[in-house]
Amino acid sequence: AGIGQPEPWQMDRQVPVTENARDILSFEVGLHWLSVAISVFVLGLIIYCIYRFSEKANPTPSKTTHNTLIEVAWTIVPVLILVAVAIPSFRLLRTQLSDPKADVLVKVIGHAWYWSYEYPADQGGGFAFDANLDEDKQPRLLGTDNDMVVPVNKIVKIQVTAADVLHSWAMPSFGFKIDAVPGRLNQFWFKADREGTYHGQCSELCGQRHAYMPITVRVVSDEAYAQWLTEAKTKYARIDDGSKFAEAR
Amino acid sequence: MATAAAQAGHHAHDDHKPSFFARWFLSTNHKDIGTLYLLFAFCAGIIGAFLSFGIRMEMEEPGLQYFSNPATYNVFVTGHGLIMVFFMVMPALIGGFGNWFVPLMIGAPDMAFPRMNNISFWLTVAGFCSLLCSLFVEGAPGASGAGTGWTVYPPLSTVGHPGPAVDFAIFALHLSGAGSILGAINFITTILNMRAPGMTLHKMPLFAWAELVTAFLLLLSLPVLAGAITMLLTDRNFGTTFFDPAGGGDPILYQHLFWFFGHPEVYIMILPAFGIVSHIIATFSRKPVFGYLAMAYAMVAIGVVGFVVWAHHMYTVGLSLQTQSYFVFATMVIAVPTGVKIFSWIATMWGGSIRFTAAMHWAVGFIFLFTVGGVTGVVLANSAVDKYLHDTYYVVAHFHYVLSLGAVFIIFAGVYYWFPKMTGYVIPEWAGKLHFWLAFIGANVLFFPMHFLGLAGMPRRYADYPDAFAPWHRVATWGGHIFALGMIVFVIGVILAFRSKVRAADNPWGEGATTLEWTLSSPPPFHQFETLPRIVDEPGYH
Amino acid sequence: MAEAHAKNHDFHILSPSPWPLIGAFSGFLMAFGAVFWMKSLQIGTLLPGPYIFGAGTIGVLYTMFSWWKDVVHEANSGDHTRVVQLHHRYGMMMFIASEVMFFVAWFWAYFEAALYTADPIQATRVDFTGGVWPPKGIEAFDPWHLPLLNTLILLTSGTTITWAHHALLNGDRKGLKYGLWLTIILGVLFTACQAYEYHHAAFGFSGSIYSSTFFMATGFHGAHVIIGTIFLAVCLLRTYAGQFTPRQHLGFEFAAWYWHFVDVVWLFLFAAIYVWGSGVGHGAH
Ligand code: HEA
Ligand code: HEA
Ligand code: CUA
Ligand SMILES: [Cu+2]
Repeated sequence: AGIGQPEPWQMDRQVPVTENARDILSFEVGLHWLSVAISVFVLGLIIYCIYRFSEKANPTPSKTTHNTLIEVAWTIVPVLILVAVAIPSFRLLRTQLSDPKADVLVKVIGHAWYWSYEYPADQGGGFAFDANLDEDKQPRLLGTDNDMVVPVNKIVKIQVTAADVLHSWAMPSFGFKIDAVPGRLNQFWFKADREGTYHGQCSELCGQRHAYMPITVRVVSDEAYAQWLTEAKTKYARIDDGSKFAEAR
Repeated sequence: MATAAAQAGHHAHDDHKPSFFARWFLSTNHKDIGTLYLLFAFCAGIIGAFLSFGIRMEMEEPGLQYFSNPATYNVFVTGHGLIMVFFMVMPALIGGFGNWFVPLMIGAPDMAFPRMNNISFWLTVAGFCSLLCSLFVEGAPGASGAGTGWTVYPPLSTVGHPGPAVDFAIFALHLSGAGSILGAINFITTILNMRAPGMTLHKMPLFAWAELVTAFLLLLSLPVLAGAITMLLTDRNFGTTFFDPAGGGDPILYQHLFWFFGHPEVYIMILPAFGIVSHIIATFSRKPVFGYLAMAYAMVAIGVVGFVVWAHHMYTVGLSLQTQSYFVFATMVIAVPTGVKIFSWIATMWGGSIRFTAAMHWAVGFIFLFTVGGVTGVVLANSAVDKYLHDTYYVVAHFHYVLSLGAVFIIFAGVYYWFPKMTGYVIPEWAGKLHFWLAFIGANVLFFPMHFLGLAGMPRRYADYPDAFAPWHRVATWGGHIFALGMIVFVIGVILAFRSKVRAADNPWGEGATTLEWTLSSPPPFHQFETLPRIVDEPGYH
Repeated sequence: MAEAHAKNHDFHILSPSPWPLIGAFSGFLMAFGAVFWMKSLQIGTLLPGPYIFGAGTIGVLYTMFSWWKDVVHEANSGDHTRVVQLHHRYGMMMFIASEVMFFVAWFWAYFEAALYTADPIQATRVDFTGGVWPPKGIEAFDPWHLPLLNTLILLTSGTTITWAHHALLNGDRKGLKYGLWLTIILGVLFTACQAYEYHHAAFGFSGSIYSSTFFMATGFHGAHVIIGTIFLAVCLLRTYAGQFTPRQHLGFEFAAWYWHFVDVVWLFLFAAIYVWGSGVGHGAH
């Protein structure tokens, strides 16, 4: 599987780089094995019936229409399986939606058709910039002219909203997406534990250039992050504390 | 359940059929209206398929091949989704087969409201015309047609589409929705009140049960959609702010209302298919349906629970932990009654003496493919997992397995099963089987790789995509071609049936076919059951 | 079988009818015209929207008139056997059920806005409403003035329609007419009050979630009152034509059901939007 981007012929998830995403991945792998098992089980039964109970093999049909035991069984067993699925599912969901204290806060705004990012002043930021598709960068359609940069092993909280229509900030490597909704300030967090460049794409239909508003996040060391902050302050437009960072959730 | 029904049978020439125009345009006959619905669904299906091939051609390679403006691609996707859902599957399964066979199966001479039946049909046509209008007027600035997705989410469908295209699309849903509500009223009344003497609800064929539950879902969910799209309309044209945060509204409200309809809608599309499968499996296994009552009440359960799971389409909009947990739980519950159905079908085959007709191929293929689509639904039901998969091709794969390989497979199964009854002619079995194998292989090649694409991160509704996704997209498009080949075989089979004029027996399927329609002539008389059949208690029916 | 069409059942088999086709086509015209009208679309230099819409509306009304005329005719010529009457009852009940669900959508919109005014996630809404309901700057109606009067009017009309029904059942034609007349007058009175109230609203129609939910919910209710009033008026005409009998008067019954349904919806609107939603609870007045 690709890291931070898809690979040709890839058949599974992109490599997760947060703990929560890894946990969800292994849960999902389990679910897929379960799915395969159920499908193969059903297929097996069907194939057995096809051969064993064909007109030729079984000229006189039985008249059985009830078997309480088996009917109870095929009701109870799925229930048990689903309970077994639900427990880890709820646990992962609770972690995913927990609200740890943020080390870095970034505000993300979806526009038709680019993203903009705001780094609040009280965290050494105080600037904002737009991230447009950079047609010259590789991989095609995934590169932005300005990347979102965050430090490694830090809890990053993003607050996501949109300026016009719906968008969705999606980052496969972090294992989630969160919708950018006009008027709403959605919040999500991640803690990437591997440096690198990670790509995502807008994931809510937003019109003509929906496919052309990628997301690039660079996860860097603390030093590199500090250096980037200093550069960014001169490079990007300043914002005062005018921009609103809500204490949501 | 062979009963005293067939007397009127062979006097078809005595039927005083109305003149051509009166018969097909002013009809009050459930079979003729059913035929109209099937023809309409076929035409709409061809258009919907045509649009999907536009999609697949574009997706074959990265970059823009055919659509110079990606907005037009969005219009194709939207049109494809809307047409397949509202103007192909629903008219075929409910209007078509439902009209034809619910009265026949319950021993009724017609529907309860034969005249209203016809306006249901014509409103569907009117809705379709409105949708076609939308394709040719401006939607998003500088592009014609509504490119909002079949879900028509605001603000893309309000501020994002200032042109009239979305208004036409909204009226398309209003018109066809009104038709469907009237149809639902008709089915419920017919099924509850017009069963032949002796046919209690608990003896009623499962297809009638399926249509009954479906009708209730339509009756209770469609008006909510009507409300939602009316709000869209007034937001667009009259300055209300239901979905506009600047006026205190909320775009997410629309999503709640839409999915409160939209999720029952997906069961509306599959429950009639469940009903048809039961009859085909029982007929060709020469065995009564296994666990009849459990089968009927499983559908009721699916219908009821189907109303309280809608927000599983909204896991990424920012719902609270409690809300998401509830919807995870409720959604997974539906797997249980669905499992009951799957296993009961297999148990119906078990111990049977199975004949592999074309219809049986499609039905058995359905059981397996629907299971595949169903289990990926359960994967998606887990909110934590869906945060990644939502709005990727994994979802596209999921719903085409339950729709294109589910509902559509059963439309074809129904055609092969009931064609002799409806027309009096026989489609050559080889055509049905060849069609099946092409569709089975084609559809799997078409849709299975979409799971991989989704896992790799490929978002939905993308006209253009990063190059790494290209290989699987290419495979999918090849699968589409194989699927299309199958459609050609289908058309050839139908043409051959009409040209060779091999007459169908009243009951071509033998002793396994126990429902009342097989006691009538093929095709049935213009008005059947002028003397109502009396259902005698037959042990072993359930 | 000499007689091929010996119909040995009580169901209603109809001969072909033009109304469905005409009705659906007119419905399409209405939609088509409405889009042209709303979007001021032109054909050449013409603005045909209102005309197309008008033609469609006339077609729909004409269809309704003719269709129901046929139904009345069929009822009078004995096609409506007991079982067919039962069908009609089921049909009407189901139709009202679908109407209930339609109003669910409007109540849903209303409560979504009224209950979640101060959710910090919905930042823009909080700005707009000021975190309170009714939103800041909105002066809601005092529920105990006109709305209360309207409630009383509708409740009274519920009793007068029941009076009419009992009179009908007892063969008291005069009572029937009085009851119907009164109900219709009360219905018109309600609509008049509602129109007066709209006219004097302290808030406009557009631009605010308060007025959106208020006007659309009460507006659709008002439309239903008007439809119900017309329905009752038709019943009155049919009464004068001597059409209802104590044994068979489905048209009247359905008008009464419909009227009760409209009444109940009002009670919910009154409780939810006028009383609870006017802020009287938290001392805005
Ligand atoms: C016919 C249509 C149909 C049917 C029947 C279903 C059935 C199911 N669907 Fe699907 N679904 C759609 C049509 C359908 N769906 C569509 C169109 C969309 C996308 C809409 C859009 O966004 O455009 C969608 C999207 C969708 C989503 C949202 C995904 C997203 O956008 O992120 C989810 C999430 O929960 C979901 C779940 C399910 C589940 C749990 C079922 C269950 O009912 C499945 C139950 C069946 C089985 C599980 C298999 C048989 C059971 C057994 C063999 C027993 C043993 C099994 C177990 C113990 C697991 N569906
Ligand atoms: C029933 C529903 C249905 C059916 C059958 C199909 C069939 C197909 N669909 Fe689609 N599809 C949707 C419902 C359906 N689809 C929906 C709801 C969406 C989402 C839209 C959105 O995002 O808004 C979608 C989206 C969608 C996409 C995603 C586009 C995107 O996100 O960018 C793609 C991409 O390949 C696709 C492809 C196809 C293909 C190749 C087929 C092929 O299988 C088509 C092959 C042809 C047939 C199966 C025959 C059709 C039937 C008949 C001709 C009728 C016969 C009738 C009688 C005999 C009475 N569909
Ligand atoms: Cu922004 Cu899609
Ligand atoms: Cu759903």
